[in-house]
Amino acid sequence: MTLAIEHGSVTYPGKDQATVQALADVTLEIQEGGPVVALGASGCGKTSLLNVMAGFLPLTGGSATFDGRPITGPGRDRGVVFQKDTLYPWLNVRDNVAFGLRLQGLKAAARHARAADLLELVELGDFAIAAPHQLSGGMRQRVGLARALATDPKVLLMDEPFGALDSLTRESMQELLVDIWARTRKTIFFITHAIEEALFLGTEIVVMSPRPGRIVRRYSLDFVHRFAADGDAAAVRSDPRFIALREEIRTLIHDTGRRRHDRPQLDRAA
Amino acid sequence: MTDLSLTARREALHRDAPEAVAPINLAALLRRIPIGVYSSIGLIAGWAVVSEMHLVPALFLPSPITVLQQFIVVATDGFSNATLAQHAGTSLFRVLFAFAIAASVGIPLGLAMGVNRWVRGVFDPPISFYWPIPPLAYLPLIIIWLGIGEAAKIALITLAMLAPIVVNAQAGVRSVLEGRIQAALSLGASRRQVFFHVIARGALPEILTGLRIAVGFGWGTLVAAELVAATRGLGFMTLSAAQFLVTEVVFVGIFSIAALAMLCLAAIRLLERLLTPWKGKD
Repeated sequence: MTLAIEHGSVTYPGKDQATVQALADVTLEIQEGGPVVALGASGCGKTSLLNVMAGFLPLTGGSATFDGRPITGPGRDRGVVFQKDTLYPWLNVRDNVAFGLRLQGLKAAARHARAADLLELVELGDFAIAAPHQLSGGMRQRVGLARALATDPKVLLMDEPFGALDSLTRESMQELLVDIWARTRKTIFFITHAIEEALFLGTEIVVMSPRPGRIVRRYSLDFVHRFAADGDAAAVRSDPRFIALREEIRTLIHDTGRRRHDRPQLDRAA
Repeated sequence: MTDLSLTARREALHRDAPEAVAPINLAALLRRIPIGVYSSIGLIAGWAVVSEMHLVPALFLPSPITVLQQFIVVATDGFSNATLAQHAGTSLFRVLFAFAIAASVGIPLGLAMGVNRWVRGVFDPPISFYWPIPPLAYLPLIIIWLGIGEAAKIALITLAMLAPIVVNAQAGVRSVLEGRIQAALSLGASRRQVFFHVIARGALPEILTGLRIAVGFGWGTLVAAELVAATRGLGFMTLSAAQFLVTEVVFVGIFSIAALAMLCLAAIRLLERLLTPWKGKD
């Protein structure tokens, strides 16, 4: 499995005949292996990047390929977990998870069995016949994850899936995701604006910067392997190297963001 | 046994004991009855007082009791060559038949208009044009086209119901969240599957709203439809009673129409609760 963006740009018309460059000359290759995390402040093009990979957004320059073939639209080989809850409220939890299998024409018994396994995996085994609106935000995101896993995609694209959750739920969701990743070895591309989340999850982090959206720095990390091995999240999060990297990346994001756009914004406000 | 465990046991006993029967609190009971019940009783009482004291001639405002008596007379002996049940049955048939046509045309049409700009382009102008016209205004035209028979009546009611159904189904398509469509596409859905599994289902709350509005319009248009050469129906009965100045029967007709219309609305509300339990919690 190789998902490759080469010199990818996305430009769209903005106000006053200006063009907005959501993505500028981004080159990124995702291979089978540890989670790749795109990290950046809002407006840095990370969601555009994911939408290009998912096939929701076409590139205006460069190329996007999946296993050598150009990406022309969404497909079953690339599962997506969305930022906002996109479950179907008219289906119960089990049928939401099995939705992709139903589209494939799988028989009900097979669908239910697969859904039950996945609900166990995301620790929602008891909620198969609950309605989505009866679940909490974190539980709904877990159902969304199970739904994306159900059709066994080659890569999982996750668009700030824990962004709307409170910080405690968020940390337990990260730990659950690592656990699932360790068990399924599913390749994950993960987007976030939270530095600690990126450090905790990614074996590779690309730091992005806005206006135009581009990659400014790449890191290779192993915190996720450590947590997957010993399960001690607190030790990882309090590791001096973890903290030092967190501060380094924070400074990096602040600096690149400020240099690019603070002045014009002030001018416009005045 | 220590004192501590004795206390604990006593507490447990108290917990298990049946709750003391509270004295019936009349004030609290009265507060639980909806305000609407009181205001309705008040209205009927006011009506009874005004009519029984002959403040208004009985020709204009018969008393509730004589209306009730007339109700029984119309129900058993009939009025204008048919019993109340026959009048009601005819009207109910007209409204439900028109509703069935309007729903089976309007829902698919509205959904198609929501997803396809060609369908929208073709059907939007005529629907936006005729929707705001009161049905009474195009009734003469329908009579010229379809005559004065049953077809004209059902066509009028159907037209009155069609527009809100179409417009709401179309709005329902627009209300389907982009993310839900994207999710289906990335799970391998074809365009057809997206339409049937996501868009049509997601539009259901708005579709039901359209049906509810349409039922209201339908009963509103019924009397207009029964103005012309009808021999049966609640609207016809009410109008002919008015012509003979039998005001009690006019009231019977009005209340019967109201009761049936409210029953239809209640049926659709029930349908909404059954089919879209997530509405408002989404």
